[in-house]
Amino acid sequence: METYLWITSVWGIYLTAVVFFGGMAWRIYQWATTPKSPVRLGMFPKPKSGAGRFGKLLADTFIAPQSAKIEPTMWIFAMAFHVAALGAFVGHLRLIREFPLLPAWLGEAGMNTFAAWSGSIAGTLMLVGVLFWIARRTFGPYKNLSVPEDYLLLFLLLGVIVMGDHMRFVYGGVVHAATYREWFVSLLTFKPEIPAELLASNVGVSLGTHMLFTDLLLMYFPFSKLVHAIGAFSSNLVRSE
Amino acid sequence: MDSTQLTTLTGVIDKKMNRQLKQYLDICARCAICKDACHQYVGTGDFKYLPARRAELIRQIYKKYFTKTGEFVPALYEARDPDENLLDELYDSTYACTGCRRCMYYCPFSIDTAWILSVAKAILIAAGKGNEMLGQLADAAIFKGDNAEMFNDVMVSGFEDIQEEVRAITGNPNSQVPVNKEGADILYVALAGAHSIRPAAVIFEEAGENWTISMFEAANYGFFYGDVEKARLITKRYIDEAKRLGVKEIVVPECGHAYRVAEFFYEAWSKEPMPFKISHILEKVDQYIKSGRITVDKGLIEGKVTYHDPCQLGRNGGKFEEPRDIVKAVTDNFVDLTPNRAEQWCCGGGGGIVAMEEFKDVRLASGIKKVEQLKASGATVLACPCENCRLQIEELNEVHELGLQVWQVIDLVVAAMPLKGTKPTHV
Amino acid sequence: MSDETKIDLELDLKGLLCPLPMVKVSQNIGKVEVGGVIRAIATDPGAMADIPAWAKSTGNEVLQAEKVGGEFVFLVKRVK
Ligand code: HEM
Ligand code: SF4
Ligand code: SF4
Repeated sequence: METYLWITSVWGIYLTAVVFFGGMAWRIYQWATTPKSPVRLGMFPKPKSGAGRFGKLLADTFIAPQSAKIEPTMWIFAMAFHVAALGAFVGHLRLIREFPLLPAWLGEAGMNTFAAWSGSIAGTLMLVGVLFWIARRTFGPYKNLSVPEDYLLLFLLLGVIVMGDHMRFVYGGVVHAATYREWFVSLLTFKPEIPAELLASNVGVSLGTHMLFTDLLLMYFPFSKLVHAIGAFSSNLVRSE
Repeated sequence: MDSTQLTTLTGVIDKKMNRQLKQYLDICARCAICKDACHQYVGTGDFKYLPARRAELIRQIYKKYFTKTGEFVPALYEARDPDENLLDELYDSTYACTGCRRCMYYCPFSIDTAWILSVAKAILIAAGKGNEMLGQLADAAIFKGDNAEMFNDVMVSGFEDIQEEVRAITGNPNSQVPVNKEGADILYVALAGAHSIRPAAVIFEEAGENWTISMFEAANYGFFYGDVEKARLITKRYIDEAKRLGVKEIVVPECGHAYRVAEFFYEAWSKEPMPFKISHILEKVDQYIKSGRITVDKGLIEGKVTYHDPCQLGRNGGKFEEPRDIVKAVTDNFVDLTPNRAEQWCCGGGGGIVAMEEFKDVRLASGIKKVEQLKASGATVLACPCENCRLQIEELNEVHELGLQVWQVIDLVVAAMPLKGTKPTHV
Repeated sequence: MSDETKIDLELDLKGLLCPLPMVKVSQNIGKVEVGGVIRAIATDPGAMADIPAWAKSTGNEVLQAEKVGGEFVFLVKRVK
């Protein structure tokens, strides 16, 4: 198990970081160096002021009100997923440093309960969102629109979420953030080590698998449609041009 | 597939590549939110008309020849060559698209499927599969531009006939359809059909406008065909004419794409700043009414009136209120369609599809949403600016026995003007 | 001339607005043999420029384009 963890959760993460950040930089570089369309592709209604355009860009990207209007069910699940993913991302920041203020208010036990609740909610919402997407792609009348890329991403995502939820729901009361933090900070300071507590129980297998899926997902990210995470901003901005 | 053909077709993508196109091809989530936005997919349920599917065909070529991952693992993206199979599906999905951009309106990333399809058209043309009818219409327009003197006499005699009709309507023997008038303020570029000139002439003359009529039409089949060079030449005909006559402003007719071409595309095609103010005729008419330069009476138009936003004029041209204000000036009995303005359903007649017999079935099926909207409104009169929309809606009107009167907006205006002459019956 | 020409197809394009008369002629030209003649009658004056321009740019021939009363009568020969 120790080898598995070293591969997926130490060297794998370093490799992933290089591929992910390098890939994203390359993707943005490609976009930035391709000349803009000579034709203005905006549509109406179109805000007149710069601030109005910026506001519309934020609303269109984060709330997608038009999509909500045409397919509310999809919008709700997509919203739930993305907001939960954002929540999970913020939660993962505890791996670097304990949040300021919160533990002082809640106490250590209170903080663990809070993390358990918020993590469970986010983890469940993401799971539900991904299952909905898989079902929609597989059984919708337009299922032929999907290509293997879509299923691959959803599969990797499902792996990340299921294993993350596994750690949350099965080991949540046993292994706490401080232990994971020890491991993660060691990575950040380039003195990688794997704490004994992680090796002591089967949580190591879950963590290793969570990280295996995460590594694969993030390494593929810059070369997949998930680059919408940044591309959405500029393409939504073009709408007001 | 044949390697020279392959080089030609991928070369087209390379030449057309720009940031927006690249992003559209890279980021689509294939979430299919756009499906319910497209009247053709909604009306037929045919997969090939799902907006993201249309774009997907271009994406498949792009992935294979323009991305490393697609080159090494094409199966992941179903990436493939632009072979006969692909081109045949592409032909249907591309030339059927009315360019309404309703899909873009609803897409979470505002992906402009119609813009992706402009590349598809260039590919089809390079493969010798451009739509023949649209190509012929474009060539005929260019021929008229290159041989203007050949058509001068028939055009002038046509305008003289129209001038007689205008005089009969206004009751004023001095009403004119000025031809080749140097120093006019406005060059009105109509359509080839007299119906787009007659009511406009009545309005300009009654408003005391210093205008002149163009020898050319504003319709641009080069744009629908998808050949930028042809499209540019067709528009250039009247830009050159406007320069020669020294006008200040070019006014385009009700037709939606004509406005979009002049206002949004020509600068990019010609790579020079547009030297004239471009106005849509309904902007002018709205100003004439509001400033009192022409008078319209309410009550001369009978029945409940509604208004259809042509996609190229509304969502893609930004003229939502001017036409509505005009219609509300001629009647108190106005009702809007639901949804309207930016969310207005495409009628199904745009993009040159009315000229392509082969798409008649999908065209009529795609009108179902418009038919539902019109029925729900309870209106008996429809004000509808765009020529293509009118042709489509008139056909829907017949097929579905809606009993609607379909009017050009300027015809409604003329009918509501207190004139001394004889009222024309509407076209 | 029109009296001697054999007409292979008659097209009634009355009431159609331009460019539809040109579209209809183009759609129907394939229905006559090469050398065959279509007689088309339109009411939109725009056809007087449209149909000859279409014929020139597609390599077909307009034998006659005449105003007769309020109508426009065309004889179009399929050349290729
Ligand atoms: C900020 C604007 C964003 C918008 C408007 C947006 C929108 C969408 C939409 C519409 C889908 C389609 C779901 C489907 O049918 O598959 C999707 C999927 C997804 N998005 Fe986003 N997204 C955004 C940002 C992000 C970010 C920042 C991430 C970062 C991780 C992300 C990760 C994902 C993932 C993992 C999927 C599932 C992919 C799949 O279905 O295969 N998104 N997003
Ligand atoms: S709505 Fe936009 S992102 Fe979704 S499938 Fe359609 S084009 Fe792609
Ligand atoms: S532009 Fe209009 S017709 Fe074309 S795919 Fe989009 S919704 Fe359909």
